[in-house]
Parts: sequence; structure tokens; C-alpha cells
Amino acid sequence: MAADSTNASSSSNGNPLALAEQLEQLNAARKVVLQDSTYYDRIVKGVLPIIGPRALLPLRRWGAEFLAESLATPVLTMRDKENITVAVLDTLRGLLDGVGEDTIVLKASVAAAASAYPVALRWIINNSYHTESWEQMSSIKSRILQIWDGAPAPVRLSCIKFAQRVVLAQTASNGMEQKTNGLDISLNMIPANHPLLDPRKLEAEATGLLDRMLGVLQDNSSDALLVDATLNCLSILIRTRPNTSNRILNAVLNFNPLKLANSPMTPKTRVLVKSLEKTTRMLLTHLLRRDPNNPMAGRIHQYIERMMRSRAEIFDEASRKRALVDQAVGDAKRQKMEGAPQFMVPPLGPGPHSLAGVFTLTSNPGLQAFDATQLPANLAAKISVKTLMTLDQQIFDLAVAGIRDRLTSIYAAGAAAAVAAQPAVNNAATAPLGVDEDDDDYEPDLTPAEDTEQILNKLDNAPPEEPTELAADAAALALGPFRLPAPPTLDPDAAAKLSQAAASRVFGPLSVLKESGASRKPKAGINRLAASSYDRDSWLTLITRLATRSTAGLDDLSSIKMEDGALDNHPPRMSLGDTIRELLYTYILEDWRRRIEIAVAWLCEEWYNDQLTKRSSGGGYNDAAALHYERWALRLFDGFLSYITAQDKVLTRFLAEIPELSRPLLGRLKVLCEDPTTVQLALTTLLYLVMMRPPVREIALDTVAEIWTEFEDARPLAAKYLVKWRPGFIESQTRAHGSDAAPGNSMAIAT
Amino acid sequence: METANGSAAPAQNGQQGDETGFKLKFCTVCASNQNRSMEGHLRLAQANYPVISFGTGSLVRLPGPTVTQPNVYKFNQTSYDSIYRELEAKDPQLYRANGLLNMLGRNRVIKWGPERWQDWQIGMPRVKHEKDQGSAGMESGVPDIVITCEERCWDAVIDDLLNRGAPLNRPVHVINIDIKDNHKDASIGGGAIVDLADSLNKAAMEEREKVGPAAFDAGGAASRASFDERVPEILAEWQERWPDLPSTWTLSWF
Repeated sequence: MAADSTNASSSSNGNPLALAEQLEQLNAARKVVLQDSTYYDRIVKGVLPIIGPRALLPLRRWGAEFLAESLATPVLTMRDKENITVAVLDTLRGLLDGVGEDTIVLKASVAAAASAYPVALRWIINNSYHTESWEQMSSIKSRILQIWDGAPAPVRLSCIKFAQRVVLAQTASNGMEQKTNGLDISLNMIPANHPLLDPRKLEAEATGLLDRMLGVLQDNSSDALLVDATLNCLSILIRTRPNTSNRILNAVLNFNPLKLANSPMTPKTRVLVKSLEKTTRMLLTHLLRRDPNNPMAGRIHQYIERMMRSRAEIFDEASRKRALVDQAVGDAKRQKMEGAPQFMVPPLGPGPHSLAGVFTLTSNPGLQAFDATQLPANLAAKISVKTLMTLDQQIFDLAVAGIRDRLTSIYAAGAAAAVAAQPAVNNAATAPLGVDEDDDDYEPDLTPAEDTEQILNKLDNAPPEEPTELAADAAALALGPFRLPAPPTLDPDAAAKLSQAAASRVFGPLSVLKESGASRKPKAGINRLAASSYDRDSWLTLITRLATRSTAGLDDLSSIKMEDGALDNHPPRMSLGDTIRELLYTYILEDWRRRIEIAVAWLCEEWYNDQLTKRSSGGGYNDAAALHYERWALRLFDGFLSYITAQDKVLTRFLAEIPELSRPLLGRLKVLCEDPTTVQLALTTLLYLVMMRPPVREIALDTVAEIWTEFEDARPLAAKYLVKWRPGFIESQTRAHGSDAAPGNSMAIAT
Repeated sequence: METANGSAAPAQNGQQGDETGFKLKFCTVCASNQNRSMEGHLRLAQANYPVISFGTGSLVRLPGPTVTQPNVYKFNQTSYDSIYRELEAKDPQLYRANGLLNMLGRNRVIKWGPERWQDWQIGMPRVKHEKDQGSAGMESGVPDIVITCEERCWDAVIDDLLNRGAPLNRPVHVINIDIKDNHKDASIGGGAIVDLADSLNKAAMEEREKVGPAAFDAGGAASRASFDERVPEILAEWQERWPDLPSTWTLSWF
């Protein structure tokens, strides 16, 4: 086989032709194992002599990569892998020990060692007598850990992964990992009294290695390649090796992936920063998703949010929201009314006020209730300073004046009526004014209540500028009553347009509302209350009734007027009801197969409404314009008729469930008979009606009869139904036709 | 042409003519493994790169008659051919007009059907896929580079790799290129993917050509850098050429 042929050519020397041939054979051997994994054992052992440390570079590269691939393959069982692993350790050690070995060989060899390590460990756990394998594995390990730091980047990548596998194998597992590829091999498997392996030493070694791995994070390295490689192999440790998780998470959360962003932003740094940030964030969101109850979840959340903000600052400068300046112009929603004051301090009503109340500028009850004393003093100070720094002078002045007015009114009230139990208004001068929140630290209940006398004294001692010029200020700042500009006059066209827009908004919630789950909707039968739950069905019930009932009886006024009026130039405007109907019609047709139920419900409402209209107008009413059922039933039916395929049993259901059927409606079914694939659907639908809806039996049978006469292709099936339900019809037809046909034919010949 | 030299040799030569030297192995990923990833798959295969492709969605979703009526299929169980025939039977005009039939017609000659990333057993030999385009060189079933066509898919791939726990100990560069999901942008994106693949492969070949520590020490800083280290740099240069296709990169593990 291939293995034998590779053996045969192992003796070749540096001849390039022989080398190419040899690689070709090796590749053929590889194909064989990929096709049939039972050859792995033979072929891996077979190639070992050819790829050893003394082989030519291309062979060593091929060999190291083949070993890495074979030891990692998921097709082999653990037992098979043990066999191969033990066999290759010597060669692997040889490849790794080579001084100045090629990067590609080293990278692949270390990767192979990473796959070999847990397998070898498991083998030793169960075969402690086999000291030689463990010695080989241990020396491979120490060699890898020795070259790790100075190695070229690709080799370091593999070293990181090797260390990760060692940590994984030498720490206690919580059993949450997948049991594949030796991921489940852990400290739990090593008995305390194992002759070769000391669990405590192994765990200590793992802790040390983990620290070494996390070194790149702790150094806040900007080497994206190594950091990404580290971050991307930590997840399984955090999730399945509880002893490591705190240490790792702390390292990750203290890592700043955006450090590089401080240096000049070249295209390359941009790639690196984005990569570091995104990789860190992916790991953390991944952990949050797998383990939302992690005790560190709060910190992780904070970290992610902080990072998203910094990231937005770094990358999205251009795409950020428009500055306030741009927004102020031309934004209809935010347009300020001409002449409206931007800010005003509402005067205090009568009655006692708390100190906080006097200085509260906001009218938002939520903000008013906020207890500013909860804020730590330094934070409050920071907020105050920040706010004062950025505050518009005009607003500040307005606020100061407003508070002044309040104080004056309190003063006046106090002086006049000597109202008792006013809370203290001490420190009025030092309290931050004009801040948009009550961040004073002097809650009234914290200070002893003072009597009116004291308050008045305090107010007397207030800064001199306050009592003076009060009247003038108040007059200047008195705000005249604000009047909204009168609305533009509404002409009927605009009104129609607006009502159309309003109607279309009625359909807005449909896309958001939940489909009422079939499970939680018990059939209430006749006791059902329409629109009793806030789901899509209820909303649709509302819409159908809005369309059918809301304007019923109102529309016809206009029609009477129109008859009286000489000439109406305007095209007939749609009533609100019709607008909603039109929209409802479009909504149903958008997905008519699933919305057929809505169609039926709607038509039921229309029919009911028509009946009421007829009754209210005293029986003889027959104005077609006021009746909607027939018109909309036909439109709906026409609407989806052209989409119907042979599988659409909903057609039968639709016709069976709508409240009234007419000849024109059933006549539309004939369209289906033009297409041979839907003939059967049309006819079975009619048959169903014949059988299940006796009131329309005659119309339905008439339609079948018409189909029979008009459509040659539909005849066999139509005839079958007619024979059963209208015996004698076909005979009479054929006879009549026969007698008709003869003169017709002779005519044709004659012309 | 000398075909008399036995059977094996000419076939080998013919193959070598197609694929000169070392080739990186690629994997393209989009949501449904229909449009963007398949365009990438085709273009990479045409450029003689070994390539496989996947979708990260829960189901294969294709546009239907309305927005709310997509045509939905299961991954790994539905062939492009059967989807083609079903849509053709449903409404040939519609699906020809919106390009679906054209796309499916292309896809069904590339491989059997849409495959789901999350169901992919990484490292399972793909020897039964000889008829797939781009299968040559992909027998081991492990690509070197994964290219996703949407941020969401990149996230799904990274999350899935974190979840799998990196059992194969094999590094993989995962690169996202944001391509809009329509035929025109997919085609532009396909060209961009091949451009990136060529740049990456050139660097990988240069790394392979360097032999031993002597060569390593001889070159300057740029040539001394390994392929893995050069990936972000190559991506940055590529990004300059394709500013409208934002990209993301990380090094992950299979």
C-alpha cells in the first residue's frame, strides 16, 4: 500500500526529483488515511522514519503538519489516538529539539504536541508503568516552554495553545466540556496516589502556565496576533475549569484593548485596534450568554458598555449623530414655537413649600421625587460644577430670577399672613441656583423646623441685591400668556389626506403585536369577547369594526348631497371607512394564505353591518353604495384568485366560511377552470358547498353546470358531480346541444 | 502531449499546471450559504484555491412573493437543485426576475446543497466531496482562512469557535468583509475576496520559500515577519483598495 511505497523511498537523498516524487507519495498516503481512518496507525508509523529531524526540510514540514493533522483528527477514537501518540512522541521530540529549526516545522510540531499532551497524560494515568512515554512528553513540554518566549510569532501561537491544553488537562473540571478530542481530560482523572503524576504539582504547574499565558493581557500588549490567540482559547477554561475562571476574567477585565488607539491611526493600527476590541468583546458576550449568572456578570456588563462607548468615539466620528446645531434647523418634530420662552420657572402655588420645593426647577414629577441627598457629596459637587460650567447664561439668569420671584412671593405671603411652619430657607445665597435638578444637600427634614420669625430674619439677612429691584425684574420677566398659532383651515381634500394617513397608522401596530399563540388561546365559543386581549387578533377585530361600523350611516349623507348638487368636480373622495377597507384589503392580500381568517372575519362584519343598514332603512333599502359586503367579497376573491395554486385548500375554507355567497362570486371560480391544474380545486370547492351549505346548493350547482358547458377540460369531473347532484342535466344538455349543433355545423359549411 | 508514460504522471502534471505551488485553504460564510458565500466560493474555486462554504443562519431563507413569505429550507438536507426545481415550479417568472433561479442554477453546479457552519464537524475529511468546486486540496476539511460576509456571521463563527473549545489546536484567521446581500454587491464582494485571497496567499508562499534560520536572519523586518503576523497588514492594505467593504479580523482556533 501507500505506506509501503513511502518506506521504500525513504532512503533517497537530496535529489530534487526524488524529493518531489517522495512528497507526491506522501500526499497519496495522506489521501488514503483521509479516505479510510483505519490506515492511520500504519501510515503514521510508516512515515515516521522519513520525516525525522534528519530529513530534508520539505519532508520535515510535511511530516510535522501531517502529525499535527493526524493527532487532531476527530475521526479517531481516544484509544486509536493513544496508540499513535505514544508512537510519535520520539519523532516529535526530535523535531522540536533541532537547533534553529524551521518556523513552519516548529509551529506544526508544537501544535501536534498540544494535541498529544492530554492523550499522553491519559495514557500515563492508566499505564503508569510506561515511564518512557511520560519522560518523552515531559521533555517535549519543557522544550516548548523554553522556546516559547524567543520564538517567531507563528511558533508562539502554537506555544500559547500548547500551554492552554496543559492548563486544561491539569486543572479540575466541572464536567461541562464536550467529550471530544481530549478536552475532557482533566485533573479529576488523576488519582491522588499515582506513582508518576502528582496532582498537586501538576495543578501548581498549570497555575504558573496560566499566568504566563495571561502575561500578554497583563502587560497590555498590543500584539494583536498573540492577544487574539490568547483570548480566543480562554473560553473553555473559564467555562469548564472553575479554578481558573476568576484569574482569567480579572486579567481580561483589566486589559485595555484600545490602548493602541492613542498612537497615530494608520490603516494597520485601525485593523489591530478593531480586532483587539472586537475579540475581547466577543469573548465577554459569549461568556455572558453561556453563563448569565456568573458572579462577575455585573463587571463584564460594565466593561462591555465602557468599551462600546470608547470604541464609538474612536471609530465612528464621522457617523455620529448630527451636532445640535444641524438638528435645530428643519426638524419638524423639534421645531420650537416662535416666541415661546425656552425656559421658565413656574411660580409656586399657595401653601407651605419645602426648601427643596422652592429650588426645584423641573416640572417632571419623577425628577422632583429624586432625593439628591443620596448622591455622595463629591459626585454632587462634580455634577454641579460641570452643569454650571456648561450652562447657558440666559437660562441661568432666568433661573436665578425665577427663584428670586419665588422667594419674594414666599416672603410676601409670610409677612402678610405669618404662616407658620415654613421650612428653613437658610443658605439661600450659597445654594446652587439654576441647576436643573435639586441637588441641595439641605433636606428640610434634616434640619430642625424653624419658625416664621427665624425665616424672616434669615430673609432679611439675605444678600442685599435680592430685595432691591425685585419689582422691576418681575415686570421685565413676567411672561405673557402664550397662544398657539391658529391651525390652518382644513379643506376637505387635506382632511381626506390626513384621515388616510390616520387610517394607515391604525395598521402600524400589526407588525409589532404578537401573534396570539394557539396554545394559550382557549376556544371560548360563542362567549368569546372580541378584542379582549392586546394581541394582533384583537387589534384586527378593532380595525374591521372601525372600517365597517364607525361611519356606517354617516357616509350616505354626502351621497344624497351629491345628488342634489348640480355638478361635483371633485373626484369622489373615499370615506374613512373605505380608506381603512382599502388598507385592510392590501394587508390581507400581502399574505393572503395566512390572513384568510382575517378576511373571513372582516366579511362577517361587513355582512352584519349591511344587514343592520338594511333594517334601519326599513327593509326596502337597496342603495348599493351603502352596502359593502358583496363588493368587498368580490374584490378580495378577485385579489387572490390569480395567485391560487392547486394546493390552496384555503379557497374552500374561504368560500365555506364567508356569510353569503352569490352567483357572481361563485362565477369567479370559472377562472380557475382555465388552468387545468386548478380545475379540481374549483370543482371540489363547489362540491363542498353543495354538500355543506344547502342554502347555496342551487347556485353552486348552477356554477358547476356552467363550468360543464363552458370548459371542455373540466367536463369529466363536473359531470361526475352533476350526475350525482343534478341527475338528468347532462342528458338534457347533450340532447339540446346535439339538436343545436346540427344546424350550426351546416351553417359553418355553408359560409 | 505525451500520454504514453503511464497513467499517473500526466494527470499530475495537468493538476500542477492549474495550481502552481502552495495554496491557502479558504472557507466562505454568509447567512444562508446561497448568495455571498457561494459567489466567494465560486470565485475562489475559479482562482484554483481550495474552498468550502457555509451559512450561519438557523435555516436557509430565500425571498418569496412578499417580504413576509420567505422560502425556507433546512440546511444540509436540501440540495440547490431541489430548491431550484421547487421555485421554478412555484413561479418561474418571479424567481427568474429576482435572480433566484440564476443564483441557484450557479450554486447547484458548485456543490450539492447549503451547509450550516454550526453543524460542520471541523476536521472531518471531506473526501466525498470530489465533485464540489474547490474541493481539490480541501480533503482534510480544515481551512486556513475563514471569510465571513457579514458582521453577524463573523460573530456567529467566533462564538461557535469559542463554544467548541478549540479541540484541534489549529489557528485560523477569521476575517469579516461586510457585503450587502444582493447579487450585484455579492459579485463585487466576490472579486474583493479573491483579491484578498491572492494577497494572503502571496505572503504565505513567501513564508514557505524562506528556508531555515539563515534566510530568517538575512531579510529585513518586513520579510522576516511571518505570514500570521502579516495578515493584519495585508488586510489593512486591502482595505485601502476596498474602502466600501469594512472588514474585521481575529485569530481564532479550530
